[in-house]
Amino acid sequence: MLSIKNLHASVEGNEILKGINLEIKAGEVHAIMGPNGSGKSTLAQVLAGNEAFEVTAGEVTLNGDNLMEKATEDRAREGVFLAFQYPVEIPGVSNLQFMRTAVNAMRHHRGEPEMNAAEFMKLAREVSKQVDLDPAFLKRGVNEGFSGGEKKRNEIMQALLLQPKLAILDETDSGLDIDALKVVADGVNALRSEDRAILMVTHYQRLLDHIVPDHVHVLADGKIVKSGGRELALELEERGYAWLGIREDDVAASSAN
Amino acid sequence: MKPAPTLLSSAFLQPAGQALPEPLLALRRQRGAALVDMPLPTRKTENWKYSSKYLKLTDEIAGSLPATGKTGSALAVPGYKVVFINGVMVPEASEYPDLNDILIQRFGDLSEAEANELAERLDSTLDTRTVQFAGLNSARFEDGLLIRLKPNAVLDKPLFIIHEVTASTSGSAFPRVFVDAGRNSQITLVEEYFSSGQEAALVNTVTEFNLADGANVTNIRLNMDGENVQHIGATGVRQQRNSRFESHCMGFGGPLRRHDLQVWLEGEGAECKLNGVVVTQGSQHYDNHTTIEHVAAHCNSEETYRNIAADKSHAVFNGRIHIHKDAQKSNANMNNKNLLLSTGAEIDTKPELEIYADDVKCAHGATIGQLDEESLFYLVSRGIGRREANVLLTMAFINELVAQIPVDAVKDTMQTRLNQFFDQAFQEV
Repeated sequence: MLSIKNLHASVEGNEILKGINLEIKAGEVHAIMGPNGSGKSTLAQVLAGNEAFEVTAGEVTLNGDNLMEKATEDRAREGVFLAFQYPVEIPGVSNLQFMRTAVNAMRHHRGEPEMNAAEFMKLAREVSKQVDLDPAFLKRGVNEGFSGGEKKRNEIMQALLLQPKLAILDETDSGLDIDALKVVADGVNALRSEDRAILMVTHYQRLLDHIVPDHVHVLADGKIVKSGGRELALELEERGYAWLGIREDDVAASSAN
Repeated sequence: MKPAPTLLSSAFLQPAGQALPEPLLALRRQRGAALVDMPLPTRKTENWKYSSKYLKLTDEIAGSLPATGKTGSALAVPGYKVVFINGVMVPEASEYPDLNDILIQRFGDLSEAEANELAERLDSTLDTRTVQFAGLNSARFEDGLLIRLKPNAVLDKPLFIIHEVTASTSGSAFPRVFVDAGRNSQITLVEEYFSSGQEAALVNTVTEFNLADGANVTNIRLNMDGENVQHIGATGVRQQRNSRFESHCMGFGGPLRRHDLQVWLEGEGAECKLNGVVVTQGSQHYDNHTTIEHVAAHCNSEETYRNIAADKSHAVFNGRIHIHKDAQKSNANMNNKNLLLSTGAEIDTKPELEIYADDVKCAHGATIGQLDEESLFYLVSRGIGRREANVLLTMAFINELVAQIPVDAVKDTMQTRLNQFFDQAFQEV
């Protein structure tokens, strides 16, 4: 489904991704791990189309279509979803209005009729229960005053509403207590399906206790240095990154994520 | 050597319309005489420095627009209605109640005694040294509306004053409104300004409010005048003990837009809430000057203005708060946020605080920014189109103030105009 070949990307002249190769098939869950500054979040942002990053070489296709040529909104309409590490607060736009606009943009793209306010409200209430978010949050500004955990659940809620083909989860576990982690993991597991690929970017392995990946990749200094099954995550948990020849401090200092 | 200032052309000092009681005609003559040496503001005139270049008072527009015409207003009016065309009331297009405790009269219908009393009070709510063009209105008005609420009178529905200018020929109009709100009385007054025709024109307005103890007045001002209409308006407000004044000044840009709002908090416990939204595009201009005079102790003022400027347009906000030395325990809060939608747009904002009392709470804040790229990316990453994302974020900037407009029909009119603005400001990409 997703094919990344020799992807290079830089920000303000600093090369962060230095040749990423990755193949993800429909139905698979891949985890990308790595120390701070290794380029994990950059990869997530580049796939979603953040123009702050410049793609300098390589190719990314989604179901055979060249993804890098498409605008961010078109990627989203083709099924790319990024759960942000730091979801943006947008006071003045209600969460409900935001989500309905997004859902209707997708429906419009697929040639389906738009959902009216009442229909959408019903759907949104159901899905908010699924991620244990009080429906009162729908009326608030997008992420406005949400706690870290609430923001992450709000991201998963959007994924459940938008039903992407490729869901990229950027540090979705960070800042969550164990209960919230469980809720988020349940939401992600509900997304797992034969025709969907999931790419999880994470610093820690604890999320992988709840969402078991099919493949684990280690990213260091802009390249995938090791790939394996879920046992690789456990090994990283136990041994850190040093045995792979990665010195965390250096990496973090040389290229901010 | 200092060059001689350019004076207001004498062509502007020829009032038309003699259908007024003699005391008002006398007042006009007196005010006109005072303007004979009036220098036009330049960029060195402090309160006009950002706007003087937009002022084009040519002789072509000096003459009065004909006091005739049929209203082309399609505005929804869920309330009482008074229609002014080119500054002159059109009774047959107006509908308002004949009540014992609320008197709504055109200036031309006032008795000699009533006109005498009014003539003494016109301009009393404005400092004409800083609001220079209020004097021009006083020298030129051809008609006007006097609204008097007796103590405890409550107008049950909003009163809409539709100010229409028919610029099918060039000229000027001078609408005038005076409101006397008695003790504990209550009124919502909506003023909507719009124009038809494409010729150059000037609208020069003055609206005055006097609020007796406990009076409660809401004023909504929506400026939708046309592309060739220069608009110079002033609103003056005097507030006595425990009165409350709420203002919503909403406006779209033009070749010149100027509104001066002066509020005098003269009785203890008086409070005012001033909201404003300005939207400009193309090469339009809009300048809001507000002054809040905290004269008495224990008064509150709350002011929130937002400007949005697109293309090469220019918006100005100047907010002055003056806390007099006896105005202890004043509470004043002023906030102005500005959104630039293009690199060619300009916004000038200037808070001015002058505080002579020592026990007051006074806060102000002003920001100028652009649409947030991160927010934009977040929205489009959900499949929302660029145009719609821009509209959502721009609306988010003023949503709170639009939502607070207390008359739904005005809110709807505002939203319709905003949608037209968005259509032009954000092309689909």
